[in-house]
Amino acid sequence: MPHEWLTEAWLRAMALVKRKRLDRDLEEELQFHLAKRAEKNCALGITANDAQAAARRRFGNVTLVKEDCRETWIFTSIETLWQDLRYAARILAKSPGFAAVVIFSLALGIGANTAVFSAMNAVLLRALPYEHPDTLATVWTTQKTDPGSEDLPPVAEVTDWKEQNHVFADIAGTSISGKAMLTGFGEPGPVIAQWATQNFFDLVGVQPALGRVLRTEESQEEFQTVVISNVFWKRRFNSDPHVLGTTFRIDGVVSNVVGVMPEGFTGFAPWYGSDTEGKPTEVWLPIDPRSARNAKRSDHWIMPVARLKPGVTVAQAQVEMDVIALGMERAYPDSNKGVGEKVIPLRDTLYKSTRDKLYPLMGAVGFVLLIGCVNVANLMLSRTEGRRKEYSVRASLGASRRRLMQQLLAESGLLTLIGGSLGILLSFWGIRLLRAIAEGVPDAESIRIDGRVLLFAAGLSVLTAFLFGLAPAICAARLDLNDALRAGESRTSSGKRGRTRYLLVISEVALAMVLLVGAGLMINSLLRLLLPSPGFDAANVLTMAVNLPATDVKYVEKIPGKDMDRVSPKVTAFHQQLLGRASAIPGVESVGMISIIPPLGAGMRTFSILGHPAPLPGSRPQGFFNEVSPSYFSTMKIPLRKGRYFDERDKESAPWAVIISETLASRYFPNEDPIEQQILLRYEPQRVDEERPRQIVGVVGEVKQIGMGGLHPLLYESFLQQPEVFQGGSEFFQLMGSLVIRTTSDVRVHEAYIATSVKQFVKEMDPDQPVTDISTMEDVLGKSLKDYKNYVVVLGFLAGIAVVLAAIGVYGVLSYFVNQRTRELGIRFALGAQRGDVLLLVTKLGLALTGTGLAIGVALTLGLNRFMAQHLQLFHVKPTDPATSGAVGILLVCIALLACYIPARRATHVDPLTALRHE
Amino acid sequence: MTQKKSEAGDLLRDTLDMLILKTLSQGEMHGYDIAEYIHDRSDQVLGVEEGALYPALHRLEVRGLLAAEWGVSDNNRRAKYYKLTAAGRKQLAEETAHWNRMSSAIARILEPA
Repeated sequence: MPHEWLTEAWLRAMALVKRKRLDRDLEEELQFHLAKRAEKNCALGITANDAQAAARRRFGNVTLVKEDCRETWIFTSIETLWQDLRYAARILAKSPGFAAVVIFSLALGIGANTAVFSAMNAVLLRALPYEHPDTLATVWTTQKTDPGSEDLPPVAEVTDWKEQNHVFADIAGTSISGKAMLTGFGEPGPVIAQWATQNFFDLVGVQPALGRVLRTEESQEEFQTVVISNVFWKRRFNSDPHVLGTTFRIDGVVSNVVGVMPEGFTGFAPWYGSDTEGKPTEVWLPIDPRSARNAKRSDHWIMPVARLKPGVTVAQAQVEMDVIALGMERAYPDSNKGVGEKVIPLRDTLYKSTRDKLYPLMGAVGFVLLIGCVNVANLMLSRTEGRRKEYSVRASLGASRRRLMQQLLAESGLLTLIGGSLGILLSFWGIRLLRAIAEGVPDAESIRIDGRVLLFAAGLSVLTAFLFGLAPAICAARLDLNDALRAGESRTSSGKRGRTRYLLVISEVALAMVLLVGAGLMINSLLRLLLPSPGFDAANVLTMAVNLPATDVKYVEKIPGKDMDRVSPKVTAFHQQLLGRASAIPGVESVGMISIIPPLGAGMRTFSILGHPAPLPGSRPQGFFNEVSPSYFSTMKIPLRKGRYFDERDKESAPWAVIISETLASRYFPNEDPIEQQILLRYEPQRVDEERPRQIVGVVGEVKQIGMGGLHPLLYESFLQQPEVFQGGSEFFQLMGSLVIRTTSDVRVHEAYIATSVKQFVKEMDPDQPVTDISTMEDVLGKSLKDYKNYVVVLGFLAGIAVVLAAIGVYGVLSYFVNQRTRELGIRFALGAQRGDVLLLVTKLGLALTGTGLAIGVALTLGLNRFMAQHLQLFHVKPTDPATSGAVGILLVCIALLACYIPARRATHVDPLTALRHE
Repeated sequence: MTQKKSEAGDLLRDTLDMLILKTLSQGEMHGYDIAEYIHDRSDQVLGVEEGALYPALHRLEVRGLLAAEWGVSDNNRRAKYYKLTAAGRKQLAEETAHWNRMSSAIARILEPA
């Protein structure tokens, strides 16, 4: 009944206002009752005192009745909560050490969780900046022999899908973003470019902020229309509203700006290990499906994005694509034999690798928080024990159990409130750290604290308050009054409560162990990446790239009617001249050149060995190649193992030579001498053999050419011995050239001068040609592991916190143990026990707890084995690595011993006399 | 918020509520008289502590089933007098009817066949 409800609300509101009056009235009403009853008892002939006592007995607990009545009237919870909070604040202020430890543990736990959650929120939960992102998917080709593989299909294949499927509303194409050269507009320099088909923007549902999107029909050999990003527009064109129609060259092609994309649209952020370092796209270039290059079925480079028709699921689309793949296999056996198609939700494509990195962090911070909570619960438990008398007194004065529990929960609530707020402050710093590790991850900048993150932090705080506040509260509620009031005896009757805290400490140690093993594995793996030499001497080497554009007719000439490019002799001349002039710069000891410097990559070739049985098509020997100048090896100090380096003998007219790495030698020439063997290289994926075989002239030491993780079989060709005509697109390694310059003394001294000089030479040879990626070789190596190192540091830091918290836990429990047994220890001493015995007693308990925790921890790590294998980026280390677990175990035992030491020492200093008089 | 932990149990509480309403249908009374009245009429079967009466009275007052005002008692002391409101009367009628239905049903079941 609404009327009744209103009356009730009114009466309650009035009561809240006239609280004092209410209290007075209540008191008077009850006193009246008692007086009446006493009067009546008196009339029965009992003395006044007895009559009053009898009246009270018959009435029951006056205080409780009063409380009950008051609660009927007032929103008591609010009132008592305020009371409880004030009381809690006073109590906590009295033990600042306790409060500090608790607040610190909670702030760390909540802060770390909030920071990691904000990253999760940014990459996993927040909506993608596209229209109906959940119906977007990417489609890849996959090798049926390797179902995990995800390859880019050729444009021609995507065109076929578009015609044959019934599950997608549309399929657009985009590409992995990469650096392109912008010239003809101010200083030449690289821009981050991504290719896109005309329907790409429409398909993802983004309209340009200015102008229109690019059009395929406007795309020609030498001319194209392009669209630029908002950020690029602001930075490079100062937000010029008349930017439309501006013309510049991108990789030599005349490009006309027709549109500016809206703020926040960064295309499909680059997630690949490309050279863009996770920077957002700046320019979109058109993909023309009609061009000769894009009609070929061997040119895999497009990334298709598809919009599912309404109501169609990814699984249904996959079924349809499986059928289409079978048809393609039949229609194009040459290119499509054994090739399947794979539909993946866009979110997974964009964020899977980030997610894989975040899960262990989320787990780690979760563990830290759990350990923190356990610790705090333990501390609270000790305090509850210490305050048993207080609770008993309060209970016997009429406080209900619920009221006692509420008081304790208010204390934990206050602690979490402070801890949680500090945690949120800490998380701002944590987020900055995360952004640093997230370099190379899409939208790292979007990691921030928003409403959802705050809600998460608040929820987490409430949860933790209950987690660690509840156990002591229940203990307090279970208090046996008689037992507790006889304080003297309570000292020895804590067996059961002791067990609870032992369990808590054991679980702390176990959790810390798991975390430490995870971090240990990562550290182990980092060391294995760092410690072995990269295969060359990086000290005092400066590097810079001079990559010539394939689109400049000066360097590359398209052969009409065929998909072949003729590379002009000017390319080699350019590089030779540059090498010559650079080596004459003062301070330069020697100069070499390679297409791509280690550890940034190489091209893939398959080959056959002349005189060996012809390899089967699926299992051809593979090598990763680079073109180098003869001076490359000596400049980089890559050791020669056999044969010789390239030298002046290896001219264009001489028989072509090749140098291989030790890995390649041992893999493909296990029982024979590779020197003077002939191999015939084949371009992949075009499957075209080189025009003549190359003779192996030397074997050089291992170099980490492709990432720091593994060793690959490497091939080096001389840049002088290259064909004149290349299959379309495969001349890049000829055009690319990075100088490696060894300086006579500290590279930092010469760096600037050398860079300016090289830039000057290049400008003189070709004014449009930029020099990019100027860096010392040591920085290149450092950068290649920077993300990984940061990640390891964060994980190690979290593990460190976990260990410290666990140590505090062990310490706390042992201190409590010693305090509890002061009397017992005193008796032992009095009876002639030696210090060593007592020391052993305490240490044994500490070690037993730690040992049990370790055992459980090991079991847990074994259980988490698969998760670790899947989500931790481990190199050369197995998740079950016994050395890591062993080292971590020993470390934990040592720390536990340290934590034992102080309480144990205190135990040995117990004075029998004081101890026996203790209370 | 008004719900107390159910030491007394809902049934007991409802019964007490009904007894109070029934008692007050006689007219205005203060707490002591109500206690005495229930005590006498129930042949002391309901041996509840007298204190338990007051939270029930206040609860009924908050729900608007009772109205209270301060008056002067027979021995010239200030006392709080309770009386039924219209809503209280209606509630009593409903509960009495419900109770009669229930008890006759139970009686029929327990009757020897």
